[in-house]
Amino acid sequence: MRIYKVPVLRHIVGFYTSFIRGTPLLVQIYLAYYGLPLMLKALEASYGWRFDISGIPAIYYVYVAYSINTGAYLTETIRGAIEAVDIGQFEAAQSIGMTSQQMYLRIILPQAFLVALPNLGNTIISLIKDTSLAFSVTVIELIAQAKLTAARNLRFFEVYIAAAAIYWLTCIVLEHIVRLAERYAKRKRGLA
Amino acid sequence: MIELRGIFKSYSNRPVLKGIDLEVEQGQVVVIIGPSGSGKTTLLRTINFLAPADRGLIRIGEIQVDATKAHKADIMAIRRSTAMVFQSFNLFVNKTALENVMEGPLVVRKLPKGEAREMSLHYMERVGLAGKEDSYPNQLSGGQQQRVGIARALAMEPKAILFDEPTSSLDPELVGEVLAVMKSIAAEGMTMLVVTHEMSFARDVAHHTIFMDQGQIVEQGSPQQLFSNPQEERTQRFLANFLDRRV
Repeated sequence: MRIYKVPVLRHIVGFYTSFIRGTPLLVQIYLAYYGLPLMLKALEASYGWRFDISGIPAIYYVYVAYSINTGAYLTETIRGAIEAVDIGQFEAAQSIGMTSQQMYLRIILPQAFLVALPNLGNTIISLIKDTSLAFSVTVIELIAQAKLTAARNLRFFEVYIAAAAIYWLTCIVLEHIVRLAERYAKRKRGLA
Repeated sequence: MIELRGIFKSYSNRPVLKGIDLEVEQGQVVVIIGPSGSGKTTLLRTINFLAPADRGLIRIGEIQVDATKAHKADIMAIRRSTAMVFQSFNLFVNKTALENVMEGPLVVRKLPKGEAREMSLHYMERVGLAGKEDSYPNQLSGGQQQRVGIARALAMEPKAILFDEPTSSLDPELVGEVLAVMKSIAAEGMTMLVVTHEMSFARDVAHHTIFMDQGQIVEQGSPQQLFSNPQEERTQRFLANFLDRRV
């Protein structure tokens, strides 16, 4: 959207990425957790819909916050990757009469994906580590579980080491997957 | 086949094309020469709207478009009836040589896959690259890449092919193979508009030669006329300079 410069959308997307990237994720989680129920209540009042708002588990608000947050970072990553594709690739596709959709799906995005892969990997890894913030709105995730366990048996160091190991292992597996994907994509264009 | 009338184009108030009229008959090879910055490449790119003209009339076969009010459908129709060969090849780097050639027939012309493939294999052979079908662009030499570029253009079965300095980024020893392919498709009657610095190609192959400078056509005529007996002082200076440098 930022590449095509569609007038209204461009400003909305610009505001969105700027706001999300310029505020801490913790604040966004609070905003989702306290703000979304208010919005739902307003919808309920004006449309007469019936929700059991208090019955929505906190984890759903957290999902929303993470999705919106990751979306903003991905938008920038993908925009950067598309801009990194050589202008000649666009021109060649246009010169044989491809539509924009054909051009993006068949030529530009497959190339942009390879450029974006390392950044995509980083974004996912940050997301995994940021799950530790969900406890702030009562969701029992890995760190919360660790705290509760440690409070019971008082082995703080061991429990946190275990928690760190779990995060690390998860991220190592992810890094590996990203590397495999990269190698596959490179082989697909004869680079490896 | 190609007709341009009163083509004007500026880049941020700097005029690049100042009213170009040009005609290419079916089966003709027209070569445009001129110093860098004379607007040759831009002129070529106004034809398929890679660089839309500010005003002027563009006709390819029966498709006629006024640049000031060109609709998307007109632009698409023009692009589909022409093809371009680029200075920097611009092969799709995520596709093999054969896939590059097949994109046009398969995706744009919507031919059945078998037919598109057969046709593409034929054009790969036509440019002397049978056996290189599965190579990716970065596994090919510059000369081979440009020949794939020509095969990709041919596979559109266009009314005319636009060549934008097709040999300018090639090592000298690779220029010959690309020019040979261009000569052979010219001999088969393809309509070609060629921007080049290869004077020998212009002399041997062109039916008509155009000398451009500062966004205008300075002089035009048969290659014999233009090269051996240029009338304009500017053309004489350019050619003298060029021949000096070549020695």
